[in-house]
Amino acid sequence: MKKLLLVTALLAALPLAAQAEEEKVLNLYNWTEYMPKEVLKAFTKETGIKVKESNYAATEEMYSKLKAGGGGYDLVVPSTYFVQRMAREGLLEPLDHAKLPNLKNVDPKFLDKPFDPGNKYSVPYLMSHVGIVVDGGKVDVSSLKSWLDLWKPEFKGKVLLMDTARETFAVVQKALGYSANDTDPKHIEAAFNKLKELVPSVKLFNGESPKVSFIQGEVSIGIAWNGEAFMGSQEKKSLTYVYPQEGVVLAMDTMAIPKGAKHPENAHKFLDFIMRPEIAAKISETLGYATLNAEAVKLLPKKLASNRIVYPTDEDLKNSELLEDIPTETQGLYEKYWSELKVGKKVKGG
Amino acid sequence: MSDHALFKRVAIGTIAVWLLLFAFAPNLMVVIASFLTRGESEFLVWTPTTDAYARMLDPLYLHVFWNSFYLSAMTTLLCLVIGYPFAYLIARANPAVRPYLLLLVIIPFWTSSLVRTYAMIVILNTNGLLNTLLQSLGLIDEPLELLYTDGAVIAGLVYTLLPFMVLPLYAAIEKLDWRLVEAARDLGARKVRTFASVIIPLTSPGIVAGCMLVFLPGLGMFYVADFLGGSKTTLIGNLIQRQFLSARDWPFGSAASVTLTIVMGLMIGLYLLAAKRANAKVEV
Amino acid sequence: MKGLGRGAYLALVYAFLYLPIAVLIVYSFNDARYSLSWQGFTWGWYESLSQNDDLIDVALNSVIVALLSATLATIIGTLGAVALYRYRFSGRNVLNGLIFVLIMSPEIVMGISLLLLFVTMGLELGFTTVLLSHTTFSIPFVVVTVMSRLSGFDKFLIEAAQDLGATEFQTFRKVILPLLIPAVVAGWLLSFTLSMDDVIISFFVTGPDFEVLPLKVYSMVRLGVKPEINALSTVMFALTLVIVLIAQSLLKERK
Repeated sequence: MKKLLLVTALLAALPLAAQAEEEKVLNLYNWTEYMPKEVLKAFTKETGIKVKESNYAATEEMYSKLKAGGGGYDLVVPSTYFVQRMAREGLLEPLDHAKLPNLKNVDPKFLDKPFDPGNKYSVPYLMSHVGIVVDGGKVDVSSLKSWLDLWKPEFKGKVLLMDTARETFAVVQKALGYSANDTDPKHIEAAFNKLKELVPSVKLFNGESPKVSFIQGEVSIGIAWNGEAFMGSQEKKSLTYVYPQEGVVLAMDTMAIPKGAKHPENAHKFLDFIMRPEIAAKISETLGYATLNAEAVKLLPKKLASNRIVYPTDEDLKNSELLEDIPTETQGLYEKYWSELKVGKKVKGG
Repeated sequence: MSDHALFKRVAIGTIAVWLLLFAFAPNLMVVIASFLTRGESEFLVWTPTTDAYARMLDPLYLHVFWNSFYLSAMTTLLCLVIGYPFAYLIARANPAVRPYLLLLVIIPFWTSSLVRTYAMIVILNTNGLLNTLLQSLGLIDEPLELLYTDGAVIAGLVYTLLPFMVLPLYAAIEKLDWRLVEAARDLGARKVRTFASVIIPLTSPGIVAGCMLVFLPGLGMFYVADFLGGSKTTLIGNLIQRQFLSARDWPFGSAASVTLTIVMGLMIGLYLLAAKRANAKVEV
Repeated sequence: MKGLGRGAYLALVYAFLYLPIAVLIVYSFNDARYSLSWQGFTWGWYESLSQNDDLIDVALNSVIVALLSATLATIIGTLGAVALYRYRFSGRNVLNGLIFVLIMSPEIVMGISLLLLFVTMGLELGFTTVLLSHTTFSIPFVVVTVMSRLSGFDKFLIEAAQDLGATEFQTFRKVILPLLIPAVVAGWLLSFTLSMDDVIISFFVTGPDFEVLPLKVYSMVRLGVKPEINALSTVMFALTLVIVLIAQSLLKERK
């Protein structure tokens, strides 16, 4: 009889306990290959929270899915300009800074930015930028100073461009002396005309894994993310990265909690976990992207910390600009021009 | 209820309910979306307009349509030329080995098409297998530019869509009444003639089915073209995808999709009409 | 001599179909992450694959969905094709039209519109929604394939059966279905293939609790082909062959 009572009492207490504590699960919605498995394992080991990771290959995909009502995720990894948009549209949950003591480790240079004042919705994760990736075995790297060098006739048929209108236009706008976030249709048209001159030199458009084309020797110069240059240089030593004098285009990836997340508590725990210096350092080391965690930078192996592709000097970042959210109107204009650039090369019979 | 009516009802009811729920309802949303306006912070704003269709008239998009048509038509033609004799030979093979021959056709396609497309890059690359082979045989001196050409794109599309031609063709050829073929031969028809005037007409439903299953999906397919063609040509598939994702312009993306469906529907309708007329003539 | 020519043609087309598979099998043993040239033999990619335990769960998810959706689509599609071929009813053209629309729908359009539909219906995103979607995009492929076999079908056979007192269902089961088998099998195989290869629609209609393999592979491959994926494809290819062989010997024994 006593036993029975005990069981009943336990059963009655169960739902209460479940209510007080979240289920030990965290649904992470992340870029592919953008969080080391070891880090997830360490987190599970310490907290007992199992991390289920789903992936996307472009922020637009994640954004469209969340906005159309597809949810169930507890953490997403938007780029800076998407944070701005998602926060404004009510797609993000405000963060509780009391649960994020490790935020103090993050370099203040990257906190409280215009895209998220006071870091109400997001914490910085990793930084990357778009510059010139070049195969030093085929091109005299010291002759490269400016974005405009890509237009040189000697590179005809050897150029790689990314397949995203936004980043490519940002680059060309900078090359012409405008801002990467310029929305003046006249300036965008000028960039389009300039880009049209470059298209005949282009061998292929691929922004997602240009490293492969460089390693395989299909192209010798191109516009691409620094992470690609870094990973490529691990396999092919002659690959390197140039910071053009007009400045690179910067993007910061952040982590944020989407509206309606079922495990916000766990999400906060995870955010705080990855802001620990040793964890942030581990992430940067494994992925080859620059951490924004000042304490972590101190822990990095010298070889990585002094690699200019990943960790640029202040001089390298002169004139650099962070991508910001632009109006839908402007994005539509970019896309139209982008289609136009690519029908210039008609298939036979057209 | 008689058993008669029951089967009919179940058969019609199942497909009707399914299509109404999962084809009609979502596509109705697409049609509605194509007449709405995009907003700054909402995908759709309830201001009715035909603006999206007006924008479709830009010659730029005509080009995009043409490029897709051309690639898909070439692919269909090649699939038919390669696939017909192939399906024919399988259908004529020993019945005991037929299922295996068929299974062998489809097994490669259970590997992700993206992975297989990447393998094609390895084959077609400047320093790839094909060039190395040709060079070592002394057939060429300089490596050929095979990758990032229209040829590579079409080869990739043919590879990806071939089973969608072969399987319906097989299903149609296999039921062919060979007595008719024999009869034609007995009447003195030569092989070519028998083939053209007996076998082809008798298997034409399979040809039409195969062409539909290759040509229509081929129109919207773009990742093969992107990988093997270096993303240098905008196709309808890219255009629509970009409207929904990067451009955040759902009305325009929806309008492009609706237009594509209507244009193709009209083309097929005209074809069916012409085919009916031609048939009627023959019978008269 | 003629037989030789035929055999050669078959072999040539099969070679075309299997060449990329052969390439990826060879490269799954290449000791290089991105390089095309042969850098030496390694088991390394298989080792790193074996440590990736969730890939196996995900692959299993995909196989289950593919088996179920192909079967469901084949049942609905075959019944539907027979109904559309045999009966005249109001709305028949609408159904024909909807099948055409389904084949035409660009993946992104179908993915987003189905997502909106499921959200409206209040369905939780995951296994059910993926299954419903895969069945939906497979149905037209079954209908078209079965239809092509039905057309030109000997109507006297059906009439004869019914004169002999067969009900509609008996006619279907005893007369029509046996004749349709090759098309039904072809339709099932196409559906299974479509399901195993769908990325974009699955991306939109699935939730965090149900991951499918093509999606995982797609995002990994897009960011640079990974030899682990070659290794995984090789393992799955080998497994398929083994299963086919076992099925064959079982069938033989039964006979």
